[in-house]
Amino acid sequence: MRSTFMGLEASKRGLFTQQSALYTTGHNIANANTQGYSRQRVNMQPTLGYPGTGLNAPKTAGFIGTGVEAHSVQRIRDGFIDRQYRQETNKLGYWESRSQAITQMEDILSEPSEFGLNESLNQFWKSLQDLSTNPENAGARKVVIQRGTAVAESFNYIHTQLSDIQANIKNELRVSTKDINSMLEQIASLNGQIAAIEPNGYMPNDLYDARDNLLDELSEYFPLEISYDKSGGGALDIAEGIVNVSIQTKTGAIAVVAGKDFSEMTTSLTSTETYEDYGQITFSSVGNATGGNYAYSDMPINKGKILSLIDSYGRGPAGAEVGYYPSMLENLNDMAKAFADEFNSVHQSGFSLPDELTGNSSTGLNFFEDGSGGTAITAANIIVANNLLTNPSLVAASNANAEEGNGQNALDLSNTKFTQLTVGTTTNTTVQTFYQSIIGQLGVDGEQANRLTYNSETIKMAVANNKASVSAVSLDEEMTNMITFQQAYNASARMITVVDETLDKIINGMGRVGI
Amino acid sequence: MRVTQSMLSSNMLRNLSNSYNKMGTLQEQITSGKKITRPSQDPVVAMKGIGYRTNLDKVEQYQRNLGEATNWLDSSDDALDKVGLALQRVQELVTQASTDTLTPDDRLKVQKEIAQVKEQIRDLGNTKVGDKYLFSGTKTLEPLFVGGSVAGESSSPLPGTPTNIAYTNDVSIEVYDNVEIKVNSNGYEVFHGIENVLNDLETVFLATPNSGSDFDGFLGEISNLQNTVLEERADIGARQNRVEMMENRLSTQEVIVTKQLSNNEDIDYEKSITELISQESVHRASLSVGSRIIQPTLVDFLR
Repeated sequence: MRSTFMGLEASKRGLFTQQSALYTTGHNIANANTQGYSRQRVNMQPTLGYPGTGLNAPKTAGFIGTGVEAHSVQRIRDGFIDRQYRQETNKLGYWESRSQAITQMEDILSEPSEFGLNESLNQFWKSLQDLSTNPENAGARKVVIQRGTAVAESFNYIHTQLSDIQANIKNELRVSTKDINSMLEQIASLNGQIAAIEPNGYMPNDLYDARDNLLDELSEYFPLEISYDKSGGGALDIAEGIVNVSIQTKTGAIAVVAGKDFSEMTTSLTSTETYEDYGQITFSSVGNATGGNYAYSDMPINKGKILSLIDSYGRGPAGAEVGYYPSMLENLNDMAKAFADEFNSVHQSGFSLPDELTGNSSTGLNFFEDGSGGTAITAANIIVANNLLTNPSLVAASNANAEEGNGQNALDLSNTKFTQLTVGTTTNTTVQTFYQSIIGQLGVDGEQANRLTYNSETIKMAVANNKASVSAVSLDEEMTNMITFQQAYNASARMITVVDETLDKIINGMGRVGI
Repeated sequence: MRVTQSMLSSNMLRNLSNSYNKMGTLQEQITSGKKITRPSQDPVVAMKGIGYRTNLDKVEQYQRNLGEATNWLDSSDDALDKVGLALQRVQELVTQASTDTLTPDDRLKVQKEIAQVKEQIRDLGNTKVGDKYLFSGTKTLEPLFVGGSVAGESSSPLPGTPTNIAYTNDVSIEVYDNVEIKVNSNGYEVFHGIENVLNDLETVFLATPNSGSDFDGFLGEISNLQNTVLEERADIGARQNRVEMMENRLSTQEVIVTKQLSNNEDIDYEKSITELISQESVHRASLSVGSRIIQPTLVDFLR
């Protein structure tokens, strides 16, 4: 036999449940602009019908419903899209960082322009041509010295600036390491909180969101592999469980977060400005987070900002560095060295203005020198020889002793820009064509990086739209839901009135026949 | 597909930022007049640009060198012209002296004038342009004649050879890649020859007694000297022609290289401005569409 007040109870449940749905709608609206927020939905289900099943259950005509309950609050999200989003974030992380590194390099080299290295070489060439036509002229000599200094300073400037940017990249790596470690710790800590809540039958949606946000951010640095372990106890089926994070490598995965355990990343970077072998990114082993060495050779190509930063900064032992900045610096060093050596050898074979006292010319002098006192000229240390700076008449414009009107050697010096040389490992090139080729290469690399950055941005945007399509809050939808829930609430309330009137009939209207 | 406000606004933001980017690039192109400002925008243009700039610098420099060459040649020609005139005067005077009606006193007067002409020729041999002595070979800071004798000659009597071979060296100027033009004249040969003849002449004049027939051989020698000077001037003239031809060639080259440089990296203003204007209208459109799309939701209609 059903209870008299059962209708009241069923309607009360309706009121409560619609109310919680309304509150969730309110939560969604409130978080409409929260980064990484996924909309939530109250999963409603009918409460068990009356009568329950069992041997001693009363036999009645129907199985009467007893109302509704809010079974769970679930966030609406698509794991596949999350995975795709992280993959694209990862690619973008690589190309964006590379594109930035190349852009900065382009800014420093500033070619083609009226103030790049090529222009200073051209100006130097011009001044030598002027000297060849006026070898006896002290002014022309001073101009040659000044333009030569400008060439040396252009090399020095480019080298210093590139080295500074390289140091910044190194710093970015260091900061990234801290950032990554902090994220690993936070993910593990969220795992801990989630593992404490889920067994009680709750869905810690906002914690899931926070954790997914962290995973999105972390995937910018590395290609990730993510797996889940279900919580035990009273955890709901739809509860997501704790997350295990591994870094993909070519040879296997490195587990960096497992439950509450997390690894700490260390690079072998020290504060001294030397290159070190990047075979040595190490993730410590803590509990189930087994960690391991993340060797450069194990990193999947073109994936993740860490790899990109290493590619730009360079790696390998001193003297055998590889990487984008080291190779550009090496090219510049090779170019400065090949040019200065060739220039010096021509200069050595020439003769200066004859000395006023002896009437004889000096010969065998260097024009460029290693400013650091050594003998190996590089882009960083190239300077114009000091004795020439103080005495421009020592510039060897003549190809014979005591001939002040002979400018042949100045002519030969001017042509060193176009002499076939071996620059580094490139044979049969000229300083001019070698420089053109490195700028061309820079341009091609930059173009590729920019294009792939744009492409991965576009794809990421498309995936982000897919993600938003599933998880983002639509105010129109929430409004519609709000009205739906409000009306359902009102209807439940009206139901209570109906039950009230029914009871009024029983209580006040019955047994009064004839009165 | 379910579409939400956040998607619309992020799409709109991206469109706007793309549009700003395009306008930024166009603005950069229009203000700089260049298609590219960094190699990655077009590596080929950047690479070629470096080459064309070098070529243009070369052409400019060779034009400057040509100016220098012209200066040398014109000045040398001018000086040699004056030497020719001086020799003509010597010829007249010697013709006069070879007449037997002249007394030894008269001849002494003629000798005095010839001595003056000789000085004048020496001055011409020491012609300077700027700091340079034109006829001293590559010893451009030393005069050809010092204290009445040809500089560097070991000893009188003439003829001698210069102790410093530099006095007979050529001075050449590069006027194009590996094209050099000799710009000086062989002053030593010319002036040394004249000096010899005039010295011999002086000996005859100063000999007593002398007669008209003593001068007979000199007229021929003087005319030989005149020929030498004329030959030298003809040579200079020929080189001036080469220089002019080179000038023409270089100015054509300048036009060509400038055009290449311009074609390679200069923008087409009409095109870029048109693009900017159409980009502007696209931008306005996306702004106004944005304001329409983002604004209304159901919230505005529910009461």
